[in-house]
Amino acid sequence: MHVTINGKSYDVEKNTTILNACRNLGIDIPTLCHDDRLSPSGACRLCLVEVEGWKNLHTSCTALVKENMVISTHSKKVIKGRQEILDLLISNHPLECLGCEKSGDCKLQDYCYEYGVTEGTYRWEMKTPYIDTTNPFYSFDSRKCILCGLCVRVCDELQGTTAIGFENRGFETNVSTPFNDGLINSTCVSCGNCVSVCPVGALEPKSKERFRYWETKEVRTTCSYCGVGCQMDLVVKGNKVVDVKPAFDALNEGLLCVKGKFSYNFLSHPERLKTPMIKKDGVFIESTWDEAYALIVGKMKEVKENYGSEAFAGLTSARCTNEENYLFQKMFRAVLGTNNIDHCARL
Amino acid sequence: MSTVKLTIDGNVAVVSSELTVLQAARSIGINIPALCYDESLEIFGACRMCIVEIEGSNKLQTSCSTLVKNGMVVHTETDRLIRTRKDIVQMLLDSHPNDCLTCQKAGECSLQEYAYRYNADFKKHDGAMRPQLMDTSSPYILRDNSKCILCGKCVLTCSQVSDRQVLSFAERGYDTKIVFGADQTIEDSPCVSCYRCVAVCPVGALVDNRQLGKLRAWDGESTVVMCKACEYGCEFEVHSKGNENISVTAKAPSNGRPLCLKGKLTTELNYLETPDKPYIKVEQKFEQTTWDKALGLAEILEKINKLDQNNGEEE
Repeated sequence: MHVTINGKSYDVEKNTTILNACRNLGIDIPTLCHDDRLSPSGACRLCLVEVEGWKNLHTSCTALVKENMVISTHSKKVIKGRQEILDLLISNHPLECLGCEKSGDCKLQDYCYEYGVTEGTYRWEMKTPYIDTTNPFYSFDSRKCILCGLCVRVCDELQGTTAIGFENRGFETNVSTPFNDGLINSTCVSCGNCVSVCPVGALEPKSKERFRYWETKEVRTTCSYCGVGCQMDLVVKGNKVVDVKPAFDALNEGLLCVKGKFSYNFLSHPERLKTPMIKKDGVFIESTWDEAYALIVGKMKEVKENYGSEAFAGLTSARCTNEENYLFQKMFRAVLGTNNIDHCARL
Repeated sequence: MSTVKLTIDGNVAVVSSELTVLQAARSIGINIPALCYDESLEIFGACRMCIVEIEGSNKLQTSCSTLVKNGMVVHTETDRLIRTRKDIVQMLLDSHPNDCLTCQKAGECSLQEYAYRYNADFKKHDGAMRPQLMDTSSPYILRDNSKCILCGKCVLTCSQVSDRQVLSFAERGYDTKIVFGADQTIEDSPCVSCYRCVAVCPVGALVDNRQLGKLRAWDGESTVVMCKACEYGCEFEVHSKGNENISVTAKAPSNGRPLCLKGKLTTELNYLETPDKPYIKVEQKFEQTTWDKALGLAEILEKINKLDQNNGEEE
């Protein structure tokens, strides 16, 4: 299908939205409410583009490309429209970038900088504050919420928990739990996927550490909690993990569970075991992996010689990968010679 | 050089007797906050952020201007100090525009860093604010006096170069401000746009106009490079995003060289695909010019071209 974007002609696939067609071509269109994994909602209006022959600016996340369409993504009219939208958003947003934990990682802040919107010009009534700190892992601050709906859609479409939704209408619209009962009394499973997608500082993890995003670097790693192998980026300040972000370009596609997202404090816990411990004279003593393996192999040989294969039983863990579990049962059946092997997930 | 032994926050430090308490603390990894201290500048003691408690003295003392003494016991982060520093930051914020949303300095601003560290925030008040005095006369340096915290670093660094000395303090008390020349615009003043003042400004009062709106401090990567305009090599930073170099900013003079506009422009030309257009001052007015003229290469280029042409004809 042939289209013209910003004066250049391109061939794009049928049935794609204007937004996706542009992004595939490397043309950047700003969005606050779009997520490839979710149904388009057209809530934020920031992705508007100008299409020749159409009277109004259109949200590119919801409009499909058509043959011979002539699209402008950064015309004067479009930029003015986006500035107006950002102005409306920032007019009703607390200007707390100085101390806001999201500062440096906030899409609203980034776009205001990009489009030169330095302050809101519609400064009258502010939203009624609704702050929910009942969940032990994250908090919600309605003053900073831009009602993009990403949290609601992630909870509904991907997590399938449907713990949160919109309440009220118009200026009073708010993200809340059924009967406004507080997150702790809702069906929320604290997976934190809403926190991961929030583009602003409305949903924030309750971090034990104080840090600024520009002081940190991200380190890609595999979650160690189960065998699924979710990929995540540890946000590291100095030598300490201070936050976790799910990887969007891996098999977990931007999702994590409560453990992966929030349970990282053990990493730098002073009581964390960092070497194998061997009991000598009734006391556990730090040792090396070589020593530990030598001890295990020695004991196994000893037991097999004295009591035979059936004296062994193996129980493996869901924290291991499938490959590790396969190897474990292989070792028990082929090396030790017993079928006494089971897995905690079957109990 | 004799050494002295002192205790800082319970740690024993053995340092040269010529060091200040602040330097001694930093040498053992204790970061005392400071807005006006810079090791390349003379001690000024303007910002009062580096105050410490020294046992035996009732008064809080500025660690940047107090020399170490044998047996000194110093505390750098007591409740009293935290409270006082919060008050200092609060007073600066009360007179500072709430602009972190789009401020070019956000992410590398010392005032922002200490406001976060000491839990100070902008608050509404009906008292005076520093007047908005934006100086947009220079295509190189953007001056916003409303963000100035009067730390004096720009004045000190400018005065280190004997034939510059353009910046100074003017007025008194709350009206105190930094002026270029005789309270002129950057364009009208004798400023040579060397960027020394921009490189030391801890806040967004003096920023690089050619960096504006292009990249935020937390976006992309920065690499320190040596300037190749002369053989001495002042330090510049090349900021890039993805595979593209976006901008070049002055970082520090070095090896006895003072930083200069020629170096800044040469480094931009070396590292950027499409640097912004160059300007030169002609009779105290900025004029857009060509790169050969901006770098003073016009005559030599003309000669080279002429010689090459002649050589071509001879063959």
